[in-house]
Amino acid sequence: MSWVRAWGRALLFAYTAAAAALSLSAYTARTRAVAMRYVYFDAWHVLPGFTLFIALLSLVVIQITISLALGYGLAQFALELVFRAVVFELIPLLTAMYVALRSGAAMVTEVAMMRASGELDELHAANMDRYEREFVPRIAAAAISVFALTIVSCSVVMVIAYLVLYGTSPWGFAEYTRTVALVFGPLALAGFMFKCFVFGAVVAVIPIAAGLDATREPETAPLAVMGGMVRLFVALALIELAALAVKYV
Amino acid sequence: MEREGFTRVPKNLQFRVGLLLGLTIMVAAGFIVYALYARGVFEATQRLTLLADNAEGVSIGMDLSFSGFPIGRVQRISLGEDGRARIDIEIPRKDAKWLRTSSIFTLERGIVGSSRIRAFSGNLQDPPLPDGAERGVLRGDTQEEIPRMVATLRSVLENVEQVTGAGGSLQASLDSLRGVTERLGKKEDVEKVVAMIDRANALLASLEGVVSKTDRRLFGAGGVVDGTQRAVDQANTILNELRESLKRVDRILADAQAVSGNARAATTDLAQLRAEVDASLRKVSGLIDEINRKWPFQRDSEIRLP
Repeated sequence: MSWVRAWGRALLFAYTAAAAALSLSAYTARTRAVAMRYVYFDAWHVLPGFTLFIALLSLVVIQITISLALGYGLAQFALELVFRAVVFELIPLLTAMYVALRSGAAMVTEVAMMRASGELDELHAANMDRYEREFVPRIAAAAISVFALTIVSCSVVMVIAYLVLYGTSPWGFAEYTRTVALVFGPLALAGFMFKCFVFGAVVAVIPIAAGLDATREPETAPLAVMGGMVRLFVALALIELAALAVKYV
Repeated sequence: MEREGFTRVPKNLQFRVGLLLGLTIMVAAGFIVYALYARGVFEATQRLTLLADNAEGVSIGMDLSFSGFPIGRVQRISLGEDGRARIDIEIPRKDAKWLRTSSIFTLERGIVGSSRIRAFSGNLQDPPLPDGAERGVLRGDTQEEIPRMVATLRSVLENVEQVTGAGGSLQASLDSLRGVTERLGKKEDVEKVVAMIDRANALLASLEGVVSKTDRRLFGAGGVVDGTQRAVDQANTILNELRESLKRVDRILADAQAVSGNARAATTDLAQLRAEVDASLRKVSGLIDEINRKWPFQRDSEIRLP
């Protein structure tokens, strides 16, 4: 039953965090400054390395997809398959997982340590809004980081897909544009943006909620980190599954 | 409000974060504009409605292709009041020139992949297809054709099996051919057959000569037919003369019955008349002989006197 309670607390925290994040008064100069720092560390720092990793991975995946499609005589579907599988599904999920591994783990540990050190209780006692001070910047920064990394990576992947399929010839552009028109409809684009946003929010909300599960006892911190990371992984997988089900089932 | 201050973010960090956010927003907005351009939002289009008995396999966003190039896109599929499927297609104005009033549209379902809608324009000089035109679509379904094709193929194979099987007509033909070949196998038989064919050829050549000669004799100038024609003309003349002579005989006999006084004169006239009749009869007899001589195929000819 403990995991049900943990999920319940995570959902409750998500609700309060959403309410705080949607109120404009939460975005003070301090919040913006903290959020900017987190965006810098979560996204800008990792941008070159992550983009390179995604470029190499997508190059291999696109090459395999296009070769297989050509081998089966389904060349006309190769680009569509790349867009649907790599751009729409693989890149956002990989980006969210990368940010979750790098920043989510740090976040849950940090909140758990704040909890253990009694810093959060002190803030509460001093009538400081802890959501505003600590959590809203983290959640906003995680959402922006995931969104920015996903958009930049997807752009790189789309350029690589063109280069793999047509080389540097400009004459593939018309066919490429037709496939883009076929795949990226208004609904698909809106769904893609929404999924990126939800991935970003979940990457911050679940680790913070897990960190709040820790108590003043220092030994509860590792348990909180472990539970938070597992819940984060399950949540990302569930969102991806739901997105796939909405689109294709 | 704030119990404790906070360290300001360095300028270069602000710039980098701003650059990343700006780049992200620019790329996202640019891509949305590109996707809208790709979907033809910024270009003038015209509408074409295709009417099909069955819209199975048709999906929104599907291409209408002409000569292998997509020139239009399915925007809407609906069921019309008449129970037929209505497939609304948007065609950019710049591509609408390929569609003419005489164009034909087909909806094909392949074994692999989705359906395809194709347009064929036989004569590009015909008037262009007007906006909002409605056209029927011809369906070709590979999956529906396969069972029919298999059934036909099976009957063809059964026929082939019957023809080639033991006791089949092909077997019987091959057996008889084998028998003929075996009979022809001996060398002297072959020589005989060759000689026989040579003789038959020679006979045919001589027969051809005979036929041509007969033709000349019968129908050529001065031939049998020509002579017979002349003889018939002469016979007509002689018969006319004979008719006149007999009329005179009638008159003279009437005079003889009426006039019984001058027996001598009558006798003289009778003798002269007899001589004339005799002469006429001789001419007739000679004519008949001549006809018989010249007309070899009708021996029993007779001439009836009036």
